[in-house]
Parts: sequence; C-alpha cells; structure tokens
Amino acid sequence: MTREKRRKLVGLLFVLPGLISYLAWTLYPIIKSFIMSLYKWNINPNIPNKFIGLENYTQLFQDPKFYAALKNTIFYTLITVPGQMVFGFLVALLLNRKMKGQTLFRLLYYLPVITSWVIVSILFQYLFAARGGLVNFLLKDLLHMIQKDVPWLSNPKTAMIPIYTLGIWKGIGWSMLIFLAGLQGIPKQLYEAASLDGANSWQTTTKITLPLMVPTIMFELVMLTIGGFNVFLSVYVMTGGGPMGSTEVLSSYMFKEAFDYFHFGYGSAISVIFFIIVFTIAQIQRKLLAKRSLY
Amino acid sequence: MKKAFFLLVVVLISTFMLAQVKEVIFWHSYSTTSGEYKLLTEEIIPEFEREHSNIKITEVQVPYDEMRRRLIVSTAAAQYPDVMRMDIIWVPQFADIGVLLPVDEEFPKDFQQIKDDFLTGPLATNYWKGHYYGVPLDTNTRVLLWNREMFEESGLTAPPTNMEEFIKYIKILTKDTDGDGQIDQWGFADTGFGPWNSMPWIYSFGGQILDPTNSKAEGYINAPESVEALKTFKDLYNQGYIAPIGGGGIGVLEGYAEGIYAMTFDGPWSWSIIKGQYPDSEINYSLIPAGKGGSKSVVGGEDIVIFNSTKYKEEAWEFVKFLTSKDVQLKFATVGQMPILNGLLDEPEIKEHPFFPVYLKQLETAVPRSPHPAWNEINDILDSAWQNAVIGGVEAQDALDNAAYEIEEILNDYR
Repeated sequence: MTREKRRKLVGLLFVLPGLISYLAWTLYPIIKSFIMSLYKWNINPNIPNKFIGLENYTQLFQDPKFYAALKNTIFYTLITVPGQMVFGFLVALLLNRKMKGQTLFRLLYYLPVITSWVIVSILFQYLFAARGGLVNFLLKDLLHMIQKDVPWLSNPKTAMIPIYTLGIWKGIGWSMLIFLAGLQGIPKQLYEAASLDGANSWQTTTKITLPLMVPTIMFELVMLTIGGFNVFLSVYVMTGGGPMGSTEVLSSYMFKEAFDYFHFGYGSAISVIFFIIVFTIAQIQRKLLAKRSLY
Repeated sequence: MKKAFFLLVVVLISTFMLAQVKEVIFWHSYSTTSGEYKLLTEEIIPEFEREHSNIKITEVQVPYDEMRRRLIVSTAAAQYPDVMRMDIIWVPQFADIGVLLPVDEEFPKDFQQIKDDFLTGPLATNYWKGHYYGVPLDTNTRVLLWNREMFEESGLTAPPTNMEEFIKYIKILTKDTDGDGQIDQWGFADTGFGPWNSMPWIYSFGGQILDPTNSKAEGYINAPESVEALKTFKDLYNQGYIAPIGGGGIGVLEGYAEGIYAMTFDGPWSWSIIKGQYPDSEINYSLIPAGKGGSKSVVGGEDIVIFNSTKYKEEAWEFVKFLTSKDVQLKFATVGQMPILNGLLDEPEIKEHPFFPVYLKQLETAVPRSPHPAWNEINDILDSAWQNAVIGGVEAQDALDNAAYEIEEILNDYR
C-alpha cells in the first residue's frame, strides 16, 4: 500500500463513524419518509401498505390546518431568531468586557440552554398562568399596565406570546456564547489603532465589531432559523397546539397526524415539505454567508 | 478447556429449563412508587406464579407518557409483549391495525361469562368491528365534586341532583368576593374542552356523539340535545360562571380545595391529589346532576389486551383471567384501583370506601368514549368544536354541524 493510499484509508476510518451515523440517522430517514409519504402507510408490517402516489400531498395542499401550522412556524422563526440574536449580542458585548464574576455570568446566561425543554415549558406555563402567574402579577399589580388578568395560554390571540418568549429566553445563552467567541476572535490591535485615531465606542462598534462579526451573525442566522423551524416541545408541553389550533406548528402537526392519528403517510408528507422548506432556506442563507465572508 | 465445557453445560441446562417455563411478558404503566405496583409485584404476580408453576410473568414498567411511543416503535418492529395493560381509548386503534387478539373469538366459553360479570361501560371499550380485543382491568369515571364549605356560605346545603339545580347553583356560587369588579370565586371549573370534559354535559342533556354502532355522527353530535348541552355550557362560560379553562397555573383540584371553585367533575384520583396537598380538606362526591338523559358520565380506565404475536395464548389468557378475578380486583381496590366487576357494591372493601360507592353507582350509567380506531381524531374535532363555540364565538349549532361533517368524513374511511 502506498503512503498516499494509507493516508486516505486512515482518513476514511476517521470519518467512518460520523458517515455511518449520518447515513443511518439522517439520510435514510429522509428517503424513507419520502417513500412513506407516497403510501397509505400502515404501521403494522404484516399489513401491506397501499400505494397512493401523491394523494397525501394533494390533500396536504388543501389542508387549512397545514397552512395555519406553516404560518405559525414562520412567525415563530421570524420573531424568535432576531430576538435571540439581539439579546444574545447585547449580553455578549457586556460579558466581553473585563469584569468581576465574568465566568459566573456566562454560566448564568447559559443555564437555560442546557435545561430541559420540558422543564422550562412547564415553568413558563406557571409564569403565564391566568391566575396567580408572575407575568400577570407584574403587568397588573406592579406596573398597572393591564386592568384584568390576561388568560395568556387559553386565548388564541395571545397563546403564541409565551411560546415566543420562551424561545427567545432559552436561546439567548447559545447566541451569546457564539457571539462571545466571535468577539474574542477580533484582533485587539484594531481597537488599539482605532483608539489612537480617537474613535469613540459607537464608532468602534459600528466600524470594527459589527463588520467583523458578519460571519458569526450569518452562522447564527442559519442555525437559529433551522432551530426555529424545529420548534416542538414548548408547543407540545404548553398548549398542545391549542387553543383552537392557534399554536400548532409544523412539527406538532406532523406529530399529531402520525403518532396520534396513525396517518403515517400523511405525517411523512408533512415532514418532506418541512424538510424542503428548511433545506431551501438554509441553502439561500449559506449562499449569502459565503458572499459576505469575504471582507 | 474444562472451564469452557462446564460453561457450555450450564448454558445448555439453563436454556432447557427456560424452555420448560413459559415466559409471559406483561407491559404496564403502574407508577413504580404506587401502591398498585407494590401489590402487583409483591403479591399478585408471585401468587399467580405459585398457582401456575409453568408460567413466569415478566412485568415491564413503562411510564404512561412513553408507553405510546414505545408501542408504536414495537409495532413497526413487530416486537410485542404478550400481555399489556392499555389505555381504553387505544384498544380499537391497535385492534384496527391488526395486532391484538380477538379474545371473544379465541376463548368463547370464558367470554360468555365475562359478558355477565363485567360492567358494561368498561367492557364496551374493547369492542371493535364485531369482536372484543381485550377485557377491562380497571375503570374510572367522573363524578361531581362539591365544596360543602362554599355551599354553606351561599346558603346551600346539598349537592344539585338535576340540571336545573346545577345551573342555578353554579350561578349562586360565582362571586366577586373582594369587590374589585373581577370574579374570584366560580361555581364550576373544569380542565379542558375535550370529550372527557364535555361528555357528562352532552349525555346528561340527552345528547350523543355517535350512533350506537359508532358509524354515524350526523344527527347525533348535532342533535338538539347535544346542541342544547353546548349552548348551556357556552352561555355559562361567557357570562363568567365557569372558571376560565386552560390558563395553566392553579389546577382545578387545588382551586377546589382552596375554595375558589365550588364544583367540578373529576375521577377517583382526585382524592389522592387533593389529600396529598391539603390533607385536612373535605372532599364531597355526588352523582353528575341528571338532565333529560339521566345522570351520565364518561368511562375511563385501562383494558388488558393480548397481542396476536404471542406464543403463549392460553398462558396469557390465564393471567388475564387471574387479574380480573374477584379476589384480585378487590385487592386492587384496597390500593385505589376501581374494580370492573358487577355486584361488588356489597363487598366490605367497597362499601366502606370513602368514594368508590359513588363512582361505581355512576359507572352503571357511564358511557365509554366511542370505541373507534379514529377516536383521537374525533376527540380533537369535538375539542375544537367546543372551543370554537365557547371561546371562538361560533353558534353551538354551527360548531356541532361542522363537527358532524368532519367526523362523518373520518367514519367514511372505516365503513
């Protein structure tokens, strides 16, 4: 075996575990989902599945519940992604300064990220409770901004608000951490040079920090968008998609169709469309990312 | 070499011995900290194994929340337990995909007896397309819980027995106690809008969800009586007499114990939930107030099923019969599980129980949620219909006409 071949083989061995798990847990399910979406799929393997072609898709495109779920998912992403980024960036700027207890604060901001979705969802259910909830107490009794307790989770008009809030709150820590890494990657000399030139902090932020952070921002945008589309547990735990379907998102709707109703074919069709949407958005963002990185 | 030979002999002997003993795998979701679990593993299974020396019961506990997922995964892989304790509403769904054993067909003689001995409401939950796919193991229903202290403060002495009284009392018991213009005490509270919550209203008003054969919704769920039930509930809710539903935070039972909600409907577990947090509170149980349809409630509980992949049909059935025998049922009653047999009201375990008599009385007329494979979908349609009417401002008739139409579409697939 030549040296070159051996190097390739070693390389292959290194990527093999990742490659196998990618094939088994990512690629195979995607293909399998697509196949399932063409059938009236019976979960019992002893019963033959009925091939129905694109019927699941034609039904899906006429399904108002699907569009409602799609709309809710898009709104969730549009609201929580900038929310997480703005707050994450502000926190990162604060924590990037030399100060006492820096590590402690970083830990505190990161805590929500590693806490289970189920637990924080239950916590938020209590915070937004109609009676005796902290949010209503703050708004009504402390700030007098509202006259009456708001039944946040039981009103279709307000039910998404706790879900948005949770999504942003839980994501700040991750966003902060990535921004912090980005901030610390900016060479110190640039700031020194700027301060010699008499630049104020607004100027250094807009002229140095932000432009050099563009790749980090784009990276976060891609990752958070994918994350936003995948919102599931907070909806599942806090509202179960209700009231009146007002908080149903793509993943909760897919879950309901497949696992509650046993419409595995239809659920697969939802997940295929879901995949196409997320994949397309991620590709567009990646293109933008590639362009903007060349500064 | 010697060692390896010895090992081989041990392996051979043990496999031979295992072959003699028939292992029946039993899945259930009794919480491992519960009295039921202790009784099952320390008394009932050992007793069964003593009586049947050739059968070994391997119990596998799966938490309820995970059970459904676990079951779906095993279905996809065709790897089932032999026997399983299953939520009643799952039975027709799993029967329909063809994984459960039709026990009435398999054991016709025993089944004749079962039809006489078992409560009809719980037994009906096992029925799908001409066959019974399991038998009830435990049951429950919802009855009226009323707060005596709050009743007396409002000059009422006894729980309502009919719908007129019920509605009157709900209004009397709803108050603004601190005079800030916001209601802070309600006559009635409930946990949701789904059929589990609405069925006592619908059926006591004389309405129905599906026809007796579970193949028609039109003319049943939107019949005048069903509409009247929803309309009454909607009006009470919108006028503020029923506490806002689904806000999270303080639970209905906690509110009941704390004197915020005067009445609610709930299952037998209410006792341990309330007593766990408020050991001194008094809990009063009474039948659902009777309307045109009588005093009707909804059946809950668990059935026990055999999977048709089992190698040990007879042995599994022995175990099922044992668990549903009078002795074992009465033992389970002592740890809070409601028995499923007729004629236990005179047994001391039941008679002296603080609330089983009311529940068993209610069970005589309680209605199962229609045993249908698509029940989950029907459930959600009814849930939305009530929500659309009660909080969405849709007319009761329109909401239920629409529900009937949607349910008909689903039923069409199963005709």
